[in-house]
Amino acid sequence: MAQARSRERSLLRKALSPSCACATPLELGGLADGSLAQPAATRLSDHVSGCARCQTELTLLKEFENAAPGPDEEGAVSWISARLERRFSEASAGPSPSRTDRGAALPRRSWFTALNVGGFALAAATLSAAVTIGLREGRAPELAQPSATASAVLRSAGITPLSPAGDLDAQPNELRWAPRTDAASYSVQVMEADFAELWNAETRDASIALPPALRARIVPGKPILWEVVAKDAAGRAVAWSGKQRFRIRK
Amino acid sequence: MSNHLAAGGSGASIWLQELFRRHYTKVVTWCLRVAGDREEAYDLAQGVFVKAQRHLGAFRGDSKVSTWLYSITRSECLNYLKSRCLLDDALDDDVAEALPDDPESRPEHVFELHSSVLAARALLDRELTDTEKRVFILHYGDDVPLLTITRLLGLENPSGAKAYLVSARRKLARVLSRWRASERLIA
Repeated sequence: MAQARSRERSLLRKALSPSCACATPLELGGLADGSLAQPAATRLSDHVSGCARCQTELTLLKEFENAAPGPDEEGAVSWISARLERRFSEASAGPSPSRTDRGAALPRRSWFTALNVGGFALAAATLSAAVTIGLREGRAPELAQPSATASAVLRSAGITPLSPAGDLDAQPNELRWAPRTDAASYSVQVMEADFAELWNAETRDASIALPPALRARIVPGKPILWEVVAKDAAGRAVAWSGKQRFRIRK
Repeated sequence: MSNHLAAGGSGASIWLQELFRRHYTKVVTWCLRVAGDREEAYDLAQGVFVKAQRHLGAFRGDSKVSTWLYSITRSECLNYLKSRCLLDDALDDDVAEALPDDPESRPEHVFELHSSVLAARALLDRELTDTEKRVFILHYGDDVPLLTITRLLGLENPSGAKAYLVSARRKLARVLSRWRASERLIA
C-alpha cells in the first residue's frame, strides 16, 4: 500500500511539475500587472491560458497579493509582525546582548544575529555576491550586471538614459539622458525598489542635479530606480525611458 | 525646475526596514496559512525576509516588490513543507476511503495511459473544475497538505480541499473506466 502510494506520488509529481515553458512567479506577476515586455508577454500569455499549472501559480500569486488576515488570524499576524519588527530593530542597531530576545528558542534566530555583524554592512556586502535567488530550480532571475557602458543596461522606450546605471563606486550627482528634439520638457522620478517615490522633478534640460536631501537617501547597497518621461509643448508625454536601476557598491 | 522630496528616513537599515514593513502582512499571513502555527510561521517569515535581504541586489525592479517577495515566500514555504514532511497521509487515507476500491482507478493511470504528459494534462484541464485542478496540482505536484491548500486558496466549504480532491479523483476514475470499456470493445 505504502509502496503503491509512493509510486503514485512520484508519477504525479513528475507529471504535474512545471515544464520548461511554464512562467516563473516573476513572469506571472509581470503578465498580471501588464509590465512584462513583448514578445515574452504574448508568448507567455498564450501558454498560461492553456496551462493549469501556470493558472494555479497565478491564483496563488493573486491570493498572496490580496492576503489579509481573517478574524481568526489577526492575533497571530500581529504577534509575528511585532516580533519581526523587534528583530529588524535589533539587527539595524547592531549586536547587543542586552537586547536579545528572551522568548522561545527559535531555530532561525541566528540568521538575524549573523547579519548583525557590522549591522547591515554584511548584508549589503552579500548583495554584490548574490547572483541567484533560487525561486525555482533552474529558473532563477539574473542579477543585473554592472556594465562598462550605460547603454548595455538600457531598456529604452524612446529616451536613451545615459547615467547612472548599474553598480557605481561613487554617489551620482545628476541624472542624464539623450535629448529628444520633440521634447519641450522632461519629468523625472526617482524611486525605491518597490517603486515608492523618493523624488520627482521637471526640467527642460537633458540632465538634472540630484538635491542633497535625495542624495542622503541614496546609501550603499540600496537599489534605486529612475525614469524620465519626455513631454511636448502641450505637456503630452511623447517618450519614456523605462525604469533604470543603479546602486552604490558597498 | 520644480521638485519634491518624498517623506522618509535615511540609512541602509531604515530603508530596508521600511521596504519590508510595507509587506509584512502579506508575507506573515501567507506563512501562517502554510505553517498553521504562529511560532512556525514566525520562523518561516523571518527566513523569507532574511533571504530577501540577502538577495536584494538581484532585484532589478522589473517586477513589483510584492511579486518578488512572493517568489521568495513560495520557495521558502515549499522547502519548509518538504523539510517538515507535512504531507498529511492521514488525510490521504480519508481521500482514499471516499473513493471506489479499484486500484486501476488511481490518478497515476491517467498519466500511464497517455503517451505524453501534455495529453494527460489536457485531460485534467477538460475534466476538472478550476478549483479541482488547483487542489490536484498543489497536492500531487507540490506535495502541499490539504489543510494548507484549504487555507491558501481560502476554501470555505466544510471539508475544504479534501472535497475537491475526492471529486477530482472520482471524475478521473470515471474517465479511466470509460477508456477501459472502449478498449475492451475494440479488442
